[in-house]
Amino acid sequence: MSSTTPAAVEIRGLHQVFQRRGHDPVRAVDGIDLTIGAGEVVAVLGPNGAGKTTTLDVLLGLATPTSGDVRVYGLAPRQAVAAGRVSAVLQSGGLLRDLTVRETVRVIASTFPHHAGVDAVIERAGLSALAGRKVAKCSGGEQQRLRFALALLPDPDLLVLDEPTAGMDVTARREFWAVMRAEAAAGRTVVFATHYLTEASDFADRIVVVAGGRIVADDTTERIRSTAVGRTVSALADDPAAVAETLGRLDHVTSVTVEGDRVVAHTRDSDDVARRLLTTLSGRDVLVTSADLEEAFVALTETARPTDRATETGA
Amino acid sequence: MNTTYLLLEVRRIVRDVPALFFIVALPCFLYLIFGATQDYADEPLLHGNVALYITVGMAAYGAVTATSSIGGMAAVERAQGWGRQLGLTPMRDWQFILVKTQVAVLLALIPVVGVFALGHATGAEGSTTAWAVSALAVVAGAVTFSLYGLVIGLAFGSESAVNAASGMLVILAFLGNLFFPLSGTLLEIGRFTPLYGYAGLVRYPVNEGHGSSSPMEAGRDPDSLLWLLGNLGFWTLALGLLAVWLVRRGRPRQ
Repeated sequence: MSSTTPAAVEIRGLHQVFQRRGHDPVRAVDGIDLTIGAGEVVAVLGPNGAGKTTTLDVLLGLATPTSGDVRVYGLAPRQAVAAGRVSAVLQSGGLLRDLTVRETVRVIASTFPHHAGVDAVIERAGLSALAGRKVAKCSGGEQQRLRFALALLPDPDLLVLDEPTAGMDVTARREFWAVMRAEAAAGRTVVFATHYLTEASDFADRIVVVAGGRIVADDTTERIRSTAVGRTVSALADDPAAVAETLGRLDHVTSVTVEGDRVVAHTRDSDDVARRLLTTLSGRDVLVTSADLEEAFVALTETARPTDRATETGA
Repeated sequence: MNTTYLLLEVRRIVRDVPALFFIVALPCFLYLIFGATQDYADEPLLHGNVALYITVGMAAYGAVTATSSIGGMAAVERAQGWGRQLGLTPMRDWQFILVKTQVAVLLALIPVVGVFALGHATGAEGSTTAWAVSALAVVAGAVTFSLYGLVIGLAFGSESAVNAASGMLVILAFLGNLFFPLSGTLLEIGRFTPLYGYAGLVRYPVNEGHGSSSPMEAGRDPDSLLWLLGNLGFWTLALGLLAVWLVRRGRPRQ
């Protein structure tokens, strides 16, 4: 035992290039460095094709990186998996349709020398009533809960979730995160990939934004939210162009547009903009609205694009 | 050895009634038509009679149907993401292959026991060595044909392709001289097809490479052990290399 506890995840200089016959190679991951401490709940946020799944695959020992070093609790990923330190809920697929829920848990349990108990994980995933049902007859949300039960079997210190709620309806999604909160509260490190900013900010303490195979932002959920989200303040003005120019000079205003008689400003400090509009700028009919989360997310990841032309070819 | 996984695999197979029909019931039915009910069934061969010769052939057909479906399903399961699920466990690839091979052996035993019992009850006769060595050869040789299902499964990745491959086995069994004696051009072509070597080897303990002495086969030269082994060896190697190539091709990106 060393005196310092190793980080849950330690990724250094990760690159993953896929060669395709007759096409340019795809740089799915183009230089990622990331350290995640024990007990953190981290969202990896990014659009489809950003390199989230590729990074998680390497973290789980399911793929070998082109270059870079990845450690999970100081171990190589495959060793960490074999030791039951890390487990995961993967994207759709991966279940045998002709097995029952309980049989699936039993078969995966049989591969571990020690496990948390077949009935125990079925219960924790809320599947007790469905234990005898065939996988083929389970809904998408139920199948996802089954994958979650499988992930709990090794009693992992690190739980990795790749788009865990994809294909779930709102109710199933809410139930899933409720169960997950209990696991995180019990002290597990949780890393999950998502392309919903709402999901990331509702559940994670920290958000890592990935686009074009690189990390474009990495901060506490609160800060990411305020940078990404902000507020929109708008008002009617007699001389909208002049008001727009004045507001545009403020540091916390990220964009200003004029729509007819109305000036629309996007800002991180809505109070200040509103105060100025109502006093010195003599604006009328002031509206303050929360920016749409998804729009903000697009803005956040789009900024990474210009430097990443070469990586835009898909993945 | 993971007995939980093995027993669960066996349970999956027992639940799949249509598959069991093709593995046991169809070969039994074919044996009754081409063997037991024919008047040449009692004719003596070197180490048994014609009925035994046909018993062994039909059991072999059931056995390769069984093993190729195991190979095919293994590939399809992995294509559908079960391999990734197993990748999150301490289980290694070789342990997965070991489980599937054990399942293939167990499944190949079903038609052997079924058709041999039926044959024994309906006039198949032969030396103990002929019965025993044939049965062993049917099971051992059938395991190599899980590669055939594996290759099809790897190449197409769908259940329907694997089912089509099982259907194709009927044609290969016909060309392999398993169902009824070929002659002339068909025999000349058949000698090179994948099931010919296996078919000849499993019946070698009964008649040492000679045909079943039915009227259609009069005057045909016996197959040499070398030719039969060469045929089986060539096809096993070819399918094995093809499987390795397909696995490597599919690896870079799902």
